[in-house]
Amino acid sequence: MIFLYIGLPLLVAAILPLVGKISKKFLPDLLANGVFLTLFVLALTSGRRLIGSGPVLQQFRWMGEDTGIALAVDGFSLFMLMAIALVTLCVGLYSINYMEHYGSKSVYYALLLMMMTGMNGLVLAADLFQVYLFLEVAAIASYALVAYGLEYDELEASFKYLMLSVVASAAVLISIAVIFGMTGSVGFAAVAEGLRALDSRAAVGFCSALFIMGFGLKAALVPFHAWLPDAHPSAPAPISAILSGLLIKVSGVYALTRIFFNVFGLTPALSEVLMWTGMVSIIVAAMLAVGQPDMKRMLAYSSISQVGYVVLGIGLGTPLGIAGGLFHLFNHAVAKGLLFLNSGAVQQATGTRELDQMGGLAKRMPLTAGTSIVGALSITGVPPLAGFWSKLLIIMALVQARQGLLAVLAVLASVVTLWYYLILQRKAFFGKLEERWNSVKEAPFWMSAATVLLALIAIGVGIFFAAMLKTWIQPASDALSQGVQALSIGGF
Amino acid sequence: MIGQILLLCGLLLFSIFAVLAKDLIKSAISLALASLFLGIIFFVMGAPYAGVFEISVVAGLITVLFMLTIALTKSGGDVRESKAATLVFPVFFILVALIDIFVMKGLLPKLQVLQSGAESGTFAEVLWKQRTFDLVGQLAVILAGVFAVLALFRKKDNHD
Repeated sequence: MIFLYIGLPLLVAAILPLVGKISKKFLPDLLANGVFLTLFVLALTSGRRLIGSGPVLQQFRWMGEDTGIALAVDGFSLFMLMAIALVTLCVGLYSINYMEHYGSKSVYYALLLMMMTGMNGLVLAADLFQVYLFLEVAAIASYALVAYGLEYDELEASFKYLMLSVVASAAVLISIAVIFGMTGSVGFAAVAEGLRALDSRAAVGFCSALFIMGFGLKAALVPFHAWLPDAHPSAPAPISAILSGLLIKVSGVYALTRIFFNVFGLTPALSEVLMWTGMVSIIVAAMLAVGQPDMKRMLAYSSISQVGYVVLGIGLGTPLGIAGGLFHLFNHAVAKGLLFLNSGAVQQATGTRELDQMGGLAKRMPLTAGTSIVGALSITGVPPLAGFWSKLLIIMALVQARQGLLAVLAVLASVVTLWYYLILQRKAFFGKLEERWNSVKEAPFWMSAATVLLALIAIGVGIFFAAMLKTWIQPASDALSQGVQALSIGGF
Repeated sequence: MIGQILLLCGLLLFSIFAVLAKDLIKSAISLALASLFLGIIFFVMGAPYAGVFEISVVAGLITVLFMLTIALTKSGGDVRESKAATLVFPVFFILVALIDIFVMKGLLPKLQVLQSGAESGTFAEVLWKQRTFDLVGQLAVILAGVFAVLALFRKKDNHD
């Protein structure tokens, strides 16, 4: 069943360009969104049953025989699969209307499904080489999707993203090669056991540095963030949503966390490095977001800052910190996905991303404005929205761990976040409506449906945060808190 | 040892030339030669399967694809490239090489290696039974690449 997360999007992506010859819009829309919905429902229903008695290494069987495909599933991977399916579903629904004017919908959906295959494969991988391989699958699809509009800026941003991403992949691959050379294996459990037996601090330190550089580049943590403010705003809005909402977290934060917690084991030194990298990202990116005249660019800087919170919480390494970090990962995926989709609706209606040229759009686009406020307030951490609880957990965890300075800085950065999101809301949606925007209309049905769904999730998770914590966050946090022991429990 | 150093030097030189060459044909040939050196290094280091793949696929097939693509591409007129690249690249290369030498000099003596047994199973067994998931990943990489080409070289219908 779990293989469906990779097999289904791969299969449908393979046939979509052919389907596109028969039906240019309807069938690609239906098939792609059918896959996203199926995988989301699967994650919600049968996924939890599968890991009911703990993590499992599920062998894929073909015609009654075992194959060499073994997928690792635990609370953390299932949580990520659910988040991927949810955001991709909303992006898919939004794309029904938004991608109309880009053409070749079948190829667009094929690339989106390949990106999903890459992310799902990475999350289910049980060895380091498979992590690298599926990282590349998602990355290749994302380079093409960033450049999908084929305009000069988009191609330039995609090329810059490609060049920096190649450096990241090289760093990850070198580290994997060194580990393979030392332990003779790339499997998570075998590597963890081998590294324990060797007790080679210098080599582990070297590999950790390369992983931080490689996955830090993928996660766009400061100082490895240069590509993101170009790539994310240049992409079509649904792709910006999936890049900021999911890809940087899966190919950066998830991979980094999985390796550092479950393979290397989190050391106090590594914890310090992660926390301070997170904190520097929070502050620097928040400062850079203030005063950005381009709406999507402001959101892109905000992504770097918010991923900093995720890394700060997880890097702390305490159960509460990890839970807060993972909860914020989910909340940011929902809220930033929502905000990028809204920015696309505004850009499509007005033809501009410049905040100074907007104003008063709430009168013409009430749904977009309303959902945008929900997303912004959630990211900022205003109660009772989802983002408030995750930030509260992170700050409580910092205080509990006697990291007072980091806690104070995290709160102050949150105030800066509120500041630039208020600027964004005021300039785009409030104030006097300019005459030239009199003919602006609300976004079409599917675009609005996707944003309303995400806004409702941000509100719902905020109200029922305890259930969310118990059902999804706690099992994911437990999988990380168990450290290298988790691998022996799951038989990875 | 000297043979290996010579092979590595050959790999480096042709790789650098592939980056710096202005003529795309020369660049593609240089890349193929670099792959050939890498393939020979794989053979010398006792990884014949990797060597066969490197020489047949990277040095062979991919070079043919590059040549075909270059032959089908029209010249887009004179494009002035910034001279900074030719100045920055050697400086950057030397800097990275120095860091690499210092790090490896410090790291290699401390690098302990676990005793591992010989590879178990034939090439086919490893590929089809032990590393099947890698094949799924490879298939996905190829498909993603094909869709990327379809997306980037498509006709822009209504976008303009």
